[in-house]
Formats: sequence, C-alpha cells, structure tokens
Amino acid sequence: MNAASGMTEPVRALFIPVILGTVRQGRMSHPVARLLASELSRRPGIETDLIDLARIPIRIDDAGQSAKDPTFAAQMDRADALVIVSPEYNHGYPGLLKHVLDTCLEEYIHKAVGVVGVSAGPFGGTRGIQDLLPVLRELGLVTIFWDVNFSSVQTVFDESGSLRDDAYLSRIDKFLKELVWMAKTLRHGREHVALE
Amino acid sequence: MAAEANRMMCPSCGAEMNHHAEKLLYASDAADAASVDPVLGGILEELYSCPACGESASRRAPGG
Repeated sequence: MNAASGMTEPVRALFIPVILGTVRQGRMSHPVARLLASELSRRPGIETDLIDLARIPIRIDDAGQSAKDPTFAAQMDRADALVIVSPEYNHGYPGLLKHVLDTCLEEYIHKAVGVVGVSAGPFGGTRGIQDLLPVLRELGLVTIFWDVNFSSVQTVFDESGSLRDDAYLSRIDKFLKELVWMAKTLRHGREHVALE
Repeated sequence: MAAEANRMMCPSCGAEMNHHAEKLLYASDAADAASVDPVLGGILEELYSCPACGESASRRAPGG
C-alpha cells in the first residue's frame, strides 16, 4: 500500500505498448518509436512492445470491428496505456493509423494514452495530435496532457539511429511519468471503483 | 436480488468483476435495431475488469 495515495501498488507489471503509426517507406517515426520503447523498458514494473502498423495483417476491404486482427486486439486488451507515435502528413495523422485504431473499442476503455508527434517541419506533429485527440476520446481512451514533439526529425537522429539531442530524454521522462501515473490510476479505477 | 443476479464473474479466475464503464454503441446492422435503447439512441455495452487477475469483459446492458 502506498500511504500517500492509499492505492495498492500494482503487483502485475503495467503493459504499455508503443504503436508506430505509419507504414511509409523511410519513416522517421521508426527511430522515435524505438526510443520511446527503450525508455519505457528501463522503468521498473513496465512491460512494453513496439507495435508496427506495417506488421499487422489488417484488412482494407472492410473497416471497424469486423476488420479486427486478433493479435492486435489481444495487445490492446492487455494494455494499461498506449504510446502512439504519429507523424503529421498534410496537417493530419495517417489514415491507416485511424483504420487500425477503429478495429477495436472495448479493449481501450478507461485506459491511458499519450501521443508523440513527428514532423519534418518545425511544428513537431502538433496539428496531427490535435486532430487525433477527439478520436482517442471517442474510443474510450483517456488522454494525458504531456505530448512529445519531434520537429525537423531528420536532424534528431544520426545515421545509426542514435539520438543527437539529449534534451528529448528529459521531455520523454516527463511524458512517461504522467502516462504511468495515469495507467496506474486507471487500472485501479477499472478494477476497484464501481460505476454508480 | 436483481443486483445479485446481474453480477459478472471473471471468465478467467471466477472472481466478481468490477463494472467500471458503459459505452453507447450505434447500431449499423439491422439485426441490432431491436437492442437500441430508445432513450439513449444506441446499444448500451457494460465494461468490467477483474480486481483479482485484471481480465476484462463486456456484455450488453440488461434489457438492451
């Protein structure tokens, strides 16, 4: 029991996967997603996985829950929170990200989500994030107020995919601290606080 | 008695599950039309989580 919060510390590890939200060839969101998964995996009591949209055998001749992929759905069901790494394409988030997110619903409800924006330009995916937030809300996810924004992403990593600017690590730390707090709080709520 | 009958038991460990959410689903299939709550305008789905093992489950609200 944590005396300060009155909540029991989770015995089961929190599962917080990172969704790589684009399939574009040469995507610069990939090193960003790897970095987020690496930073999550350093934290005690957290399990993570990098979910690559390109590896989900999702149907494109149907939409919504009838196009559900069982592996992706099981990962969403197990998740306590999500990190979504989304590039900004033409001032929006990728259409395939929406298509995949729409294949689940009850798996997301009362779970935390944080969004990492990526762009080649100066705004770090902020416009895509703003468009994505109401979608996440309708899916039943609970958004946190920290984002991480990767501007001019082509300059952020070197040829080997290593981070050039350690300032991002401090921003990621703040983002993950809030996400983990929200994940713990919502798990407690889902399992112990009844709807009245 | 009604509340007792409506308890949701965990399909994994058998513990009583916690009812933490209700989500309104909009019917797109004609077969679901009869389940639409006329006041809310959709099908009410109940969401549960197990305090013992963390399993999640859902079901349509009674009467839905």
